[in-house]
Amino acid sequence: MRRLLATLACALAGAAAAEDVLHLYNWNNYVSEETLARFEAACRCRVKQDYYSDNEEMLAKLEAGAEGYDLLVPTGNAVESLIRRGALRPVDKPLLANLGNLKPEYRDPWYDPGGKYSVPYATSITLIGYNREKLRELGLPTDTWALIFEPRYLERIKGKVTVLNSQRELLGAAMRYLGHSVQERDPARWAEAKAVILRAKPYWAAFSNSTYIKDLAIGNIWVAHGYSNDMFRAREDAKAAKRPFTIGFTTPKEGAVLAVDGFVLHKSGRRPDLAHRFIDFMLEGRNAADVSNLIGAGNPNAAAMPFVRPEIAAEPAIFPPAADLERLEMLRDFDPALRRTLSRLWTEIKVR
Amino acid sequence: MDERREALEAGSRWKRWLVAGPPTAFLLAFFLVPAIIVVVASFREPGEFGGLVPLAAGAAAFSAEAYRFVLGDIVYAEIFAASFAVAAVTTVACVALAYPLAWLIARSPRRRRDLLVLLVILPFASNFLVRIYAWIMLLGPANLLYTPFAVIAGMVYVHLPFMVLPLYTNLEKHDPALLEAAQDLGAGAWTRFWRVTFPLSLPGIWSGSALVFIPVLGMFAVPELLGGTGDVLIGNLIKEQFLDNRDWPLGSALSIGLTLAVLALAGLAAALSRRGLKGTGAVS
Amino acid sequence: MRRRAQWLLWGASLAVYAFLYVPLAVVVIFSFNDSLLNAEWVGFTLSWYRKLLADEEMLAAAGNSLAIAMLSSALATVLGAMAGIAMQRWRLPWLPLLVLTPVAMPEILLGVSLLLFFRQVLDLTLGFFSILAAHVTFSIGFVAVIVRARLAGMDEGLFEAARDLGATPWMTFRRVTFPLILPALVAGFLMSFTLSIDDFVITFFVAGVGVSTLPLQIYSMIKVAVTPEVNAVSTLLMALTLTMVLAATRLAPDILRRGR
Repeated sequence: MRRLLATLACALAGAAAAEDVLHLYNWNNYVSEETLARFEAACRCRVKQDYYSDNEEMLAKLEAGAEGYDLLVPTGNAVESLIRRGALRPVDKPLLANLGNLKPEYRDPWYDPGGKYSVPYATSITLIGYNREKLRELGLPTDTWALIFEPRYLERIKGKVTVLNSQRELLGAAMRYLGHSVQERDPARWAEAKAVILRAKPYWAAFSNSTYIKDLAIGNIWVAHGYSNDMFRAREDAKAAKRPFTIGFTTPKEGAVLAVDGFVLHKSGRRPDLAHRFIDFMLEGRNAADVSNLIGAGNPNAAAMPFVRPEIAAEPAIFPPAADLERLEMLRDFDPALRRTLSRLWTEIKVR
Repeated sequence: MDERREALEAGSRWKRWLVAGPPTAFLLAFFLVPAIIVVVASFREPGEFGGLVPLAAGAAAFSAEAYRFVLGDIVYAEIFAASFAVAAVTTVACVALAYPLAWLIARSPRRRRDLLVLLVILPFASNFLVRIYAWIMLLGPANLLYTPFAVIAGMVYVHLPFMVLPLYTNLEKHDPALLEAAQDLGAGAWTRFWRVTFPLSLPGIWSGSALVFIPVLGMFAVPELLGGTGDVLIGNLIKEQFLDNRDWPLGSALSIGLTLAVLALAGLAAALSRRGLKGTGAVS
Repeated sequence: MRRRAQWLLWGASLAVYAFLYVPLAVVVIFSFNDSLLNAEWVGFTLSWYRKLLADEEMLAAAGNSLAIAMLSSALATVLGAMAGIAMQRWRLPWLPLLVLTPVAMPEILLGVSLLLFFRQVLDLTLGFFSILAAHVTFSIGFVAVIVRARLAGMDEGLFEAARDLGATPWMTFRRVTFPLILPALVAGFLMSFTLSIDDFVITFFVAGVGVSTLPLQIYSMIKVAVTPEVNAVSTLLMALTLTMVLAATRLAPDILRRGR
């Protein structure tokens, strides 16, 4: 009985203190602990994070009734979807003194005209990460999707490759490899992509959205389809653990998916004021630079560039040069009918 | 005397509802009604943003499309078959591994027996994810991660205690006089085991098998964490529909399929263990 | 039994025990490993435990797990005891079916049906209460079986004697039934507690986001941030459930013997 009362008391105390808590629903490893600690000290509040590793996962959980998040960090196509659903609160621009720090090309994105609902935070490219030494030894190319789709290459790395467990990303990679757009509407072309994937699937070790970071860093896996910032992390982890190899990552020459992730305010969030303070804090040059220096993400913030480490700013997979930008596409959500078709296609890919 | 019994009967009727009522109400609400919802959900279209078209849309939104999709392609039957195969292999492996343990426990003196049983249950006291993680740690360096072997090893590891306990409970009840009689009649050790002990232990094997086979059918965590691209089982498919793909009708249809499979198996297990008991009157 | 067969039996049994314990020993040992990647042994450290105890998310999840386990076990014990008594005393054909089927079904089916129920029918935000209701649902059957088994072993004459001596049904329950089933109630409570603390699959479906339990934390750690912190929390969780199981077997040694 006593214990029950104690638990209830704690819960109540917790509820009272919840007043000064910012609820953030974010990608794994997308805000460094140091940055968070600095914000918590500055605002004298707490930040509580929950994580997802895929936009679809986040949208599925929101669909299942997840509530109370002040901030989400969706990718462009997910932002569009959330706006259409009416799930977002518009950004109160006067509250964001540092909004002018954003690079001009990010201020009026196609998925959020006028930047009414979202504030870009980081960019990443979905590409191939690899064990440099191992691939050099095997004489395999590192700048093409063929590395994960062609049996003649896959034979030499069988069981040492993982791909993303994401419908749009994996199908998108196959589409680019075949020379089509990731926004293709012709079902026949999607069937081609499915065929390419099924042909390569027996050589892949697993579908993985996040375990590949550790697997690459340890050396269990030699090639991984994943996000540029995760590959950066794998590279840093391998270096820190003094592994006898280095991790490289390259944007494939056939083209790839570019993701722009930004902060949005969910309607069910209880502290929009804290949310705005957080966004403004992250728009400051020094704090914005953290996302590049500590996480290896691309940066839409002009004021951050002076603070970004030169070797990271020079990394083409993180800050793509103008030539690369032509080959990069952003994902857009499809209409329900095509979405259903793709979703069933994805199920087939999993089961065959 | 009759009046008294009548009074007791009348009294006991409302007493019956008083005692049986609350658990019944709770389970009707949180078990039966949800089960019916799954059936209803399987006959609907997915909603615009995933999930379902709202149930309130009524009969107008009826659609057997999910079933047409599942039944229209042999590959879903193949996944069910693969899940059955994995469950079968796991069960057989569990029987093989559990038998020596169960026999040892059954034949040990009373005090040691409790200790031995405890030693079997203790690993079960660890969280099941921890047990899977243990295998991730062991198989990674051995290059056996993301293989079918990893999936089977994980399944067996998680379910082994469920086979040991019913088996030892059964073996404990065997009359040693039977084996002595067999020995007197000239039967060798293997014959004694195969002709006497094993048939008598069948009810225990059936109980244990039910406790292993049915849960394994629905598992998704083991294939997801230990399995490779070809090791997708029905549990993974169902989980993906609900938590990744947001295609709830398809997930519900697959769940109904799994439920029917499980009910058929449970019925089979019950029939078999009843027959086993009838045929072996020697079990005390 | 002949000597060689005896050795064979002991050998095989020890091999199986080793199969059961070696993986867990590895988890425990590597919780003290001074290496982020935890691929090979580097050195001894307690830092992961220190990190664990300072990890707010982990502590919140632990708190949730304990609170949910306590409340759901209490409710499941009461409802399960009622079900067990009813199953033993009266011939109600639907009751055993209703009570025991949740136990026999694969957990994923329970998880999925509850997810649909909470979202589509109740429009409930998934969180603490959805997890609580789910845990009670699967625990009732376990408690009911334990209580019924205990009652089955008791002498009907005790209840008749109480009635003949003029006891009301309530008095019979309070003075005769309750004390006799008390060990079964305690064992049932501990069993439900362990099941609740350990549950992953059903909780995974009905937890939504925001409320986490220890198994859910472990799962996301295994998938994402696999540091030896996972080993540390696993070791502590093992120690907790070990204590529970030992306590249960001390108080109700019958459950070991009944087998189920």
